[in-house]
Amino acid sequence: MKQQAFSTTGLTESIVAFAGFSRSHGLNIGLQETQDALRAADTGLLVKDESFRFGLKSLFSHSPEEGLLFDQLFSLYWDTNPTDMADRKGKVTLQGTVVKKANASLIMLGQGRTEPGEEEEAKSVTGANETERLKHTDLSRVNVLDAEKLELIARKLFREMALRVRRRQKASRQKGKINLRKTIRRSMSYGGEPLDLLRMEPAPKKQRLIVLLDVSGSMDKYSFYLLRFVCAMKEYFRQMEAFVFSTSLVRISKALQQERLDLVLQRISTMSENWSGGTRIGASLKEFNALYGKRMLNGSPLLVIMSDGLDTGDSAVLRSEMAYLQRRVRKVVWLNPLKGMQGYAPTAKGMQAALPLVDEFRTAHNLQSILELENLLADA
Amino acid sequence: MHPAFSTSDSVIATLAGLNYVADEELGTALFLMYRLQKPLLLEGPPGVGKTEAALALASLLGTKLIRLQCYEGLDVNAAVYEWNYQKQLLGIRLQEQSGLSVEEKEKHIFGNEYLLKRPLLQSIMEEVKAPVLLIDELDRSDEEFEAFLLELLSAFQISIPELGTVKATHKPYVILTSNRTRELSDALKRRCLYQWIGYPSLEKEMDIVKRHLPGIEESLLRQVTEHVQQFRTRKLSKVPGVSETIDWAESLLALGHREVNRKAFERTLGAVLKSADDIDMIRSEGPEAFHIAS
Repeated sequence: MKQQAFSTTGLTESIVAFAGFSRSHGLNIGLQETQDALRAADTGLLVKDESFRFGLKSLFSHSPEEGLLFDQLFSLYWDTNPTDMADRKGKVTLQGTVVKKANASLIMLGQGRTEPGEEEEAKSVTGANETERLKHTDLSRVNVLDAEKLELIARKLFREMALRVRRRQKASRQKGKINLRKTIRRSMSYGGEPLDLLRMEPAPKKQRLIVLLDVSGSMDKYSFYLLRFVCAMKEYFRQMEAFVFSTSLVRISKALQQERLDLVLQRISTMSENWSGGTRIGASLKEFNALYGKRMLNGSPLLVIMSDGLDTGDSAVLRSEMAYLQRRVRKVVWLNPLKGMQGYAPTAKGMQAALPLVDEFRTAHNLQSILELENLLADA
Repeated sequence: MHPAFSTSDSVIATLAGLNYVADEELGTALFLMYRLQKPLLLEGPPGVGKTEAALALASLLGTKLIRLQCYEGLDVNAAVYEWNYQKQLLGIRLQEQSGLSVEEKEKHIFGNEYLLKRPLLQSIMEEVKAPVLLIDELDRSDEEFEAFLLELLSAFQISIPELGTVKATHKPYVILTSNRTRELSDALKRRCLYQWIGYPSLEKEMDIVKRHLPGIEESLLRQVTEHVQQFRTRKLSKVPGVSETIDWAESLLALGHREVNRKAFERTLGAVLKSADDIDMIRSEGPEAFHIAS
C-alpha cells in the first residue's frame, strides 16, 4: 500500500492518514495519538518542517528502535520529491517477513522422523501405567501416536505444577512488620488502645526468569517439549524473558504471550535462520549479553539454559560470556537432555567450558525429569 | 501561557540562557509537553542530562520542582501519602474525654492535618502555580508502581480512601526519566511523549562543558571532550556520560593541567571512568591512542 501526503486534500486528513500509515507499519498508535498530533499541529509547530517531524516523533514512537522506523516512515510519507523517493524507499525494510523454511515447526515436532526401531524401544520402558511409561520415555524416542498423548499429559502436568509452585509461595509467607495504618484504624473501636497488632504481609517476591533454549539440529526432538515447558513457566513467572538460539539469538518473549504454541512455533521458524544448523552457544550468549544484558540482568534473575552443549564455536568465548552471566544472575541452571543418557559424561567441548560456571546441572530428557525441576523453580 | 513557549525555537533559546543545551528534538518535545499538557518520558544512558532537563524546565517556568526518586520496592506510602501515625495515636488519646462518637473521632484523625503528603500528592495539591514533577529513574521501580502511575498521569487525580478523590488544581508538568534497564509498559509509554537522549556530538558536548566551566581553555576543552568521545567507542562496562566529562575537565583544572598528557591521564582517569577494568584498559592504551589526528 503506497500512501503519501500529496494524495490527501487537507492537513487534517494528511495527519490522520499518516497515523494510519504508521500504524499499518507497526507503530503502536491509537486514536489518542492521532488526536494529540492534530492538537500539536494546532500549536503552530507547522512553521518549520523539522520541528513538525520531531513533534510527531515524540508522539508516535516509544523507543529508540521505533524512532528509527518513524524517521523512515516520515520521509516516505511526507516527502513529495520523487527523485529521492526511490533512494529512500530502498532503505526501508519494514516488516521484513521473509519466509524461511516454513515447515521448520514440523521438524521440531519430530514428525516423520521416527523410525520403527525407536518405537520398540519406547514401549519397552517399564512403568505402572501408560502415563507413567510416557513420563519416563526419552523425549527423542516418542513416536507419532504417543506424541499427542504425551502432549496432553505434559500440558496438564505443567499447569498443575505452575499452580502448585504459586501456592507454595503463598503458604510460606511470614508475618512482617506492623501495619500502623490498619492497627490505628482498628484501635478506634477500643478507644485508641492498639489491642490488635495488624501486620504487613511481605510483598510477594519478585521472580524473574530468563530462559535460553537451544533449537539447533541436535536438540530439535527435545526442544518442542522444552518450549512447552517454557510456556508453562510463563504462567508462573510474571517477568519472563525467553530466547531461542542456534547460530544466532532470537527473542520469543512477545511471541509466547500469544499463548498459542503453534503460532509461537511458526513465528520462531520464520524468525530464526539456519534452523537446524550447528550451534554457536558462545556467540549466542555474547549476543544476549551485548543486546539485552544491561536491560535484563538487573535484579538478579534466575537464568535457565537448555542446551546439549554441543558447541561448534569457540569455547573460550563461551567461557568468558558464561562468566559474565554468572556474576550477574542469582543462579545459572543448565538443563542438558543428554545427561539422562546412560554413561553420559560432559565431555563435549562446549559443555566442559561452561560446566564450572553452572550452579545446577540437570537433565531434561523425559517428562519426569522436567517435572522434577519444580523445586528448583519454587526457590527462585 | 509562558512567553518562552510560543514556539519550539524560543524554548531552546530560553533554555540555552539557563545554561541547558537542548537540541531541536528535545526542544520540540518540551514545547509539546507544555502545550499538550502531556507527560514527557526521557530515556537515555546515564549522565546525558535527563534530570537536568527537568531542573532547567523548573527554573525556566519559575516554579517549584517536586522530585520523586524511584527505587525497587517504592510503594504508594512513600510516593503518594501516609498518615502521621504518632500524631494520630496522640489525637485519639486527647479525644478520650471529649465524648465524641467513634465516627466523629475517626473523621477527625483522618483529617488533613494528619496527612503527610509525599511527592505525587504534593504535586497535584500545589495551589499557586503548576509545579514540575520529576519522576526520576522510573525503570528502577516495580511494575505495580508503574500501573499506579497510570491513573495519576491520565486524570491527574489521586484517590485516598479516607478523604475521597483529590483532583489537581493545576496540572503539573511531568517529566519521567528512565535508563532503560528494563522496558516500561506500553500503557505508560502511550500516555507520554517520548524522547530518547543519546550521547551528544563533539560540538554540543564542548558547548555543554564550556557552560559549566566558563574558565576552561579552548585547547583543553577540545582535548578532554575528544578523549571522552573516543572512550565511548571502546567497549567499556560503564560508558562515561556528559557529567563525567565535566567532572574530568574540572579535575584537570583543579590540578592545574593545561593539556591531557600522560601524567594528567594517570592522575585523573578515576574522574571519568568508574570501573577498575575500564581504567586498566584505557590506561594501557595511553593518552596517545585517543588523539584525533588533525
